[in-house]
Amino acid sequence: MSIDINLAGLDLKSPIILASGILGVSYSSMKRIIDAGAGAVTSKSIGPTPRKGYKNPSIIEIYPKTFMNAVGLGNPGIDDFIPEIKEIKEEGITLIVSVFGDKNETYLEVAQKAIKGGADAIEINISCPHAEVSSIGIDKDLTHDIVSMLKKEISVPLFVKLNPNVTNLGEIALAAEKGGADGVVAINTIAALAIDVNTRSPILAHGSGGLSGKAIHPIAVKKVYDLYKLLKIPIIGCGGIFEWKDAIEFFLVGASAIQVGTSLYQGPEVISEINKGMIRYLKDNEFKSINDIKGLAHEFKTQEVPDFD
Amino acid sequence: MTENTIQTVKIKRIINECEGVKSFVFSRQSSITPKPGQFVMIWVPGVDEVPMSISSYNERGEWSITVKNVGECTNALHELTIGEYIGVRGPLGNFFEIPQDKNKKIFLIGGGIGMVPLRFLASELIKSGFKFITIEGAKVENDLIFMDEFFDLQREGSEFNYCTDDGSYGEKGFATEIFENALKDLESDELKNIVVYTCGPEIMMHKLLQICNEHGIELYASLERIMRCGCGLCGLCAIDPNGSLVCKDGPIFSSDLLRKMDDFGKHKRDFSGKKISQ
Repeated sequence: MSIDINLAGLDLKSPIILASGILGVSYSSMKRIIDAGAGAVTSKSIGPTPRKGYKNPSIIEIYPKTFMNAVGLGNPGIDDFIPEIKEIKEEGITLIVSVFGDKNETYLEVAQKAIKGGADAIEINISCPHAEVSSIGIDKDLTHDIVSMLKKEISVPLFVKLNPNVTNLGEIALAAEKGGADGVVAINTIAALAIDVNTRSPILAHGSGGLSGKAIHPIAVKKVYDLYKLLKIPIIGCGGIFEWKDAIEFFLVGASAIQVGTSLYQGPEVISEINKGMIRYLKDNEFKSINDIKGLAHEFKTQEVPDFD
Repeated sequence: MTENTIQTVKIKRIINECEGVKSFVFSRQSSITPKPGQFVMIWVPGVDEVPMSISSYNERGEWSITVKNVGECTNALHELTIGEYIGVRGPLGNFFEIPQDKNKKIFLIGGGIGMVPLRFLASELIKSGFKFITIEGAKVENDLIFMDEFFDLQREGSEFNYCTDDGSYGEKGFATEIFENALKDLESDELKNIVVYTCGPEIMMHKLLQICNEHGIELYASLERIMRCGCGLCGLCAIDPNGSLVCKDGPIFSSDLLRKMDDFGKHKRDFSGKKISQ
């Protein structure tokens, strides 16, 4: 039974990748996630300069296992993040650096610095639903342009994290593929708002935020299911993975790897438990590799036309 | 057990502890009883949300926080009056483990506003039948808090010592010096029987760790870091090189763990995640 994967040339001992924005600031916390059994880690989205982001409340639980956040891309800036990249690489960890910028050239500048520092792959954040960069991720032409521009300049795998808050996710994902992306991450958080009824105030300092965790899991599964029919490049499934069943679901609808984020508030052991559960599932169902279950849910015909009487 | 959702609650009482320090009492519906050392994220609507130690809890379900006015959010909190709403998330984090052994010699060593979680711990220790020695240090007499309350607790057989940097009240000097003096003439088996609980400026706690290391004394320190989530997601409070999270693995850390933390007494992260000096 093997859960090893090769994702766009990256050999990973587990298909679980730490999602961007969770614990991705310091090498020490990312190392803990690898020690718990993850195959790779994604850093917090890093921009060209230090940025404090939005004030608190910026990350809150609104229902059990469902969170809302509006961090506003707070990050130390690429120059101050390089020492963390170097520490991670000294540990031999596979690192994906999530990158954002205010224009295409800034994305390139940050990505090149990250790669020089040792990043194994780049994920571009064109999809944060509560910061100005979301404008790229809602437009297929802008998405194509940034991806093709970056692919011309960088040699490591490039992943595109998709913004689900769009009318047609498929055409944006296809634009990323056409631009040369090595994979897409589906999905980022879903635009949301919570109001405190006593004070009549939005709870997050920014007002609206991104929904993550349990509540978005079936939405993410549906997006990956739909994208699998359209794309040739790998899809990294992300959204509300708390246990092995949630992970297996993503592979069955066509994911090649998965990202785990919100559930880590329960501790890094979440990852070792998911790994164990996936191996047990493969064994019980007599599959040799996690790759063998990819897309199997598509073999079932679903009813397209309702019965009328 | 922790609780990460925000609940807005009305301020029931406000107590002036000293110049610039107020306690805020509120009732919070929670299935989880807070323990000494745990903290809450306090939201002042329209301003900010910051971590605060819990300073008391009673059987009527009343919680309190004790807050020094040091910045924008704490200033806004100090402006609030009885009946106004604050948001509360918590209890969060771990707590001070009370020893099983009633014969342990317990020291509570606090610096300034760091007395807050130790005050909650003192009341729980008394409930559990422990006697202890408190050393409260402050810059000047006016910064000493909870003195009236501690005066009443002396009758239960515990000892309360005060010191100030300028000698305006109690002994002149640092709490660490008072503690070191108290260790003089103790035999090694007496030293091994000591447990220290501390909260205060990290430089003070770092010095205490050195003293405790020298004498083989067990120490538990409450750390403070900037945080967003308070529940193990944002990573701003991670301590290198072991990756411990102050919000979730802490805020209370044992001397065994503190010894492994290169960042302890030296570095923290700002709101952008950038590592800065203490």
